[in-house]
Amino acid sequence: MPGLLEIHNLSKSFDATKVINDFSMEVVEGTLCCLVGPNGAGKTTTMDLVTGRIKPTSGKVIFAGEDITAKHEHVIARAGIGRKFQVPAVLRDLTVRQNLEVAYSRQTNPFWNLFKFRKAGLKEKLDEIATLGGLSGRLNERAGILSHGETQWLEISMVLMQEPRLLLMDEPIAGMTEGEIEKTARIFKDLRKTATLIVVEHDMGFVREIADVVTVMHMGSLLATGTISEIEADARVRDVYLGEKEAA
Amino acid sequence: MGNLYHNKTAQWLVYAAFFIGLALIPSFVDDAFLLNQLATYGVYGMLALSISLCWGFGGILNLGQGIAFGLGAYGMAMTMQMQSQSESNPIPPFMLNNSLDALPWFWEPFSNTAAGLFLAIAVPTLFCAIFGGIMFRARVSGPFFAIMTLAMLSAFYTIILDRQPYTGGVNGITPPSALQIAGVEIDPYSSTAYLTVLGILVVATVVAKLITQSSFGLVTQAIRDDAERVRFLGYSVAGYETMIYTVSGMIAAFAGCCLVMLVQYVSPAQMDVSFSLSMVIWAAIGGRLSLLGSMCGAFLIMGAQSYLGDTFLATWLLILGGFFIIVVRFLPNGLASLLESALGLLASKPKTSAEPNGDAKPVPAE
Repeated sequence: MPGLLEIHNLSKSFDATKVINDFSMEVVEGTLCCLVGPNGAGKTTTMDLVTGRIKPTSGKVIFAGEDITAKHEHVIARAGIGRKFQVPAVLRDLTVRQNLEVAYSRQTNPFWNLFKFRKAGLKEKLDEIATLGGLSGRLNERAGILSHGETQWLEISMVLMQEPRLLLMDEPIAGMTEGEIEKTARIFKDLRKTATLIVVEHDMGFVREIADVVTVMHMGSLLATGTISEIEADARVRDVYLGEKEAA
Repeated sequence: MGNLYHNKTAQWLVYAAFFIGLALIPSFVDDAFLLNQLATYGVYGMLALSISLCWGFGGILNLGQGIAFGLGAYGMAMTMQMQSQSESNPIPPFMLNNSLDALPWFWEPFSNTAAGLFLAIAVPTLFCAIFGGIMFRARVSGPFFAIMTLAMLSAFYTIILDRQPYTGGVNGITPPSALQIAGVEIDPYSSTAYLTVLGILVVATVVAKLITQSSFGLVTQAIRDDAERVRFLGYSVAGYETMIYTVSGMIAAFAGCCLVMLVQYVSPAQMDVSFSLSMVIWAAIGGRLSLLGSMCGAFLIMGAQSYLGDTFLATWLLILGGFFIIVVRFLPNGLASLLESALGLLASKPKTSAEPNGDAKPVPAE
């Protein structure tokens, strides 16, 4: 069964530096894949390549059978890939409600949006997501004044408003409390019913909790991929990543 | 209770009151000269409105609004000039003085008033769509876009100044008689002219206001905030930027047409860099985040210039500059933000005042 997202022999060089080196992976629909690896392994760069923020030097990205390599960001987003950034990126001057409304991007054509004042289905979806993200009481606040944890929730909620088929979550639990982390794990596991997720995370406890598949990157290449117990038993992974962490 | 300043109904009521007030002016003012002058303020209001839409809501600083304004003005002047020409005398006098013996091809369509008026709006609008499209697709933004508009404006200014046989050069074009539409002459000193300009200003304002309240307007404000993020939500940022820049240019083109209708004169001064900069200053002082605030900024500055400018002569520019510095330093969102904070204070007290108020910060109230 072909994956929803297939990355084939992806490479990216900045000048002489190879940041991603012949990296391939495949994510099966309805699963949650954790992308882990030491700092500088190229996890975020891979996200950038998949979402079109940067163009690969060589290689291919296939999403739902369609080649999306080097397409524009908005085209890839419309194809059904939503992304949460490592540094939470919300629209700070707009209210929480407006952030969610903008993210509800079913109609993206600027011309038709000139004549749109009420979006069909927006209210129900907004209420549902705001409740899920614990933001119901903060809808009229400016997003810029939210705490770090709330900002994380807002960005996750924005990605959910997009209703993407594939969600890319770059370090979603940074700055969250224990309770919030548990809640995130629960929500992510629920999401697998309707969507596919790739989560970049350092917290191995969290990874152990949520991952169906773990993919380990090291120096821009694939180091290992498998279930969490396979990965934890892998000597090379212990060497470059897990071992290092325990020593710290 | 939210801040009344952000209440959409209150905003519309204030706009309505404001324009009804302006519409009543001709019943009080008998002085035709004054009425004509007040009508030109309507033109400045349109320009400030267009800057507010593009810069305040779209985040696109445009220092070259004089392009669309000037092209609109020249289009109108050409139309009015050709109304004075006849079969036997098809060539405007200034061309004859510059020894042209045939009407240039691009003047031909202006012999027809409807075609001329259409072109006066369509040419600048199309220019904005193409120029904006090219720039925004290449992701030129912020100060770089502002510099490009400035360069483009200077280019237009130079071409018009230089091509005297076709454009009248530094003398500009002075149509000998007032605009006639369907056989009716619009006397620039009449209340008809005043109300025509006001009518266009009202329509432009309502359209601009509706745009800011539409889904399009929300996305535009999101782009102003963080264009990069908005791309990943599936919106073509370049498309939105081009659209708001074009609509803004179209309003400026209407302003250009109105000005020439009122003063029966156009010259390269309309495309002077300093005039385009003043438009930005009006919006900055009045409050670029508020359509009405920007318009009031234009009325305030131009009104002061007309009356105080004569008293203070060259010192006036110093006063204006000083005022601008003070506003930018202490009220970065202009005078309209004073009202916003004042109403914010009221809202934080238990009882909200029933006094209506200003305008459109992006934050909606329930």
